[in-house]
Amino acid sequence: MNIIEIENLSHIFADGTLGLENINLTIREGTFVIIAGQNGSGKTTLLKHLNGLLLPTTGTIRLAGRPVSENLVKARQTVGMVFQDADSQIVGETVCDDVAFGPENLCLHRSEVKRRVFNSLKIVGMLDFKNQKPHLLSGGEKRRLAIAGILAMEPAVLVFDEPFSSLDYPGVKQVLKQIVSLHRSGHTVLVAAHDLEKVIAHADRLVIMKDGKVVKDGMPSQLLGELEPFGIREPCASRLGMEVPSWLN
Amino acid sequence: MAELSAFNFRPGSSILHGLDVRFKLLFLVLISVTSLKAYAVTLSVLTLVLVFALLHAQGSLKSILKALRYFFVLLAFIFLARALSTPGSAVIEFKGVSITREGVYDGAMICWRLVIVVLAGLAFVSTTRPSEIKAAVEWLLNPFPFIPSKRIATMISLVVRFIPVIFDQARETADAQRARGVENRKNPVYRLKKLGIPLMRRTFERADKLAVAMEARCYSENRTDPGLCARLRDWAALFVVICLCLFIIVW
Repeated sequence: MNIIEIENLSHIFADGTLGLENINLTIREGTFVIIAGQNGSGKTTLLKHLNGLLLPTTGTIRLAGRPVSENLVKARQTVGMVFQDADSQIVGETVCDDVAFGPENLCLHRSEVKRRVFNSLKIVGMLDFKNQKPHLLSGGEKRRLAIAGILAMEPAVLVFDEPFSSLDYPGVKQVLKQIVSLHRSGHTVLVAAHDLEKVIAHADRLVIMKDGKVVKDGMPSQLLGELEPFGIREPCASRLGMEVPSWLN
Repeated sequence: MAELSAFNFRPGSSILHGLDVRFKLLFLVLISVTSLKAYAVTLSVLTLVLVFALLHAQGSLKSILKALRYFFVLLAFIFLARALSTPGSAVIEFKGVSITREGVYDGAMICWRLVIVVLAGLAFVSTTRPSEIKAAVEWLLNPFPFIPSKRIATMISLVVRFIPVIFDQARETADAQRARGVENRKNPVYRLKKLGIPLMRRTFERADKLAVAMEARCYSENRTDPGLCARLRDWAALFVVICLCLFIIVW
């Protein structure tokens, strides 16, 4: 079943800049998709359309068959988005309060909010941090907290915008492990990235964007040799003719 | 990393941690007002009660004193000002400036009362989660029809959350400017402008990102109500605090 269907999507910003041009994509439930492209290629703009943060100038986006614009709250509940800058995403004064923010917005009963907060913190391994202040967390922990905040809304699709930016090696491994385990638990995962080295080993599909258009779409193994003309660095192992290993090994 | 202040919530399982935030807020008001009517003996009783409560909740006298270290400097100024400005019989006199017996007594009483208010505030803040304070603000503002209580509560929580982040950002910007020799410029207006403008720009950009992130998490003013619940122990604590306050006033 296709969980995301994008048809003829174009977006023109208020200043007249073309953000996206005639995008057509379908994403099957449970797949792990990487959307790659250099800065300004339209990755974030595309992702923001999936939960209605941006609305198309032309074209339609459907989530599980229903247009996004029909019910924005439902769309945001279905597609959880983890932003590039985790600091700007965290709104609670403590870890626990931040995770509760989403479920409280959905007007869930207090006991259900508590259950979701507990489960989400457990999934990302942050139960011990529940009373910690978010600004005292490390980069990797902040990113995991942002993921927990999204998981508490129980989305079917998880969208990560440059999830490894400004993280050290342990931070990258923590976040990657989380993303892979969420994919294994049945979530559809979309990752926007310009550096594929860290994540490509786990992806089922690679979509390459340039100047607001989808220019390549296929299996990662088939596209690895064609990355550099689009401003994306080919992973080292692939350059040496080897299979790209996982960063988790 | 910047800390807003030493007055921070410390997780724990003391009696104070378990009390309803609205009652704790009421206790803070009652004790602060009552301290105005208290003198040496009754102030000693209040101090003992509060120090005991804080030790029970926080566990360390050292951390309490550390939290209040800057406040003691302020108290010293207040004490000196009072001691020097109150007319009465002089204890020390030097070049026409005299410290009076009445001034020393008044200064000591005022400082002691301020210590009581601050200790009560410390007990409140260090045993109450910020989200509970937000809930109490929301509850207190609810009866007023033209005040958007939920919006104000959210604004308070965002301010508490983002002040340390803005401090961090200010320090980062200042460091970056020092690395480029801003200290050679002696004009404070120039330096303030060079620090203030980028800091404000980054703060507004962050506010924009925050608004989008909140929207992505379905932000709405119609949210789950804060879970406030008055139990028997809250009423029992209220009875004890009222008895204490009456004792102090009647003494």
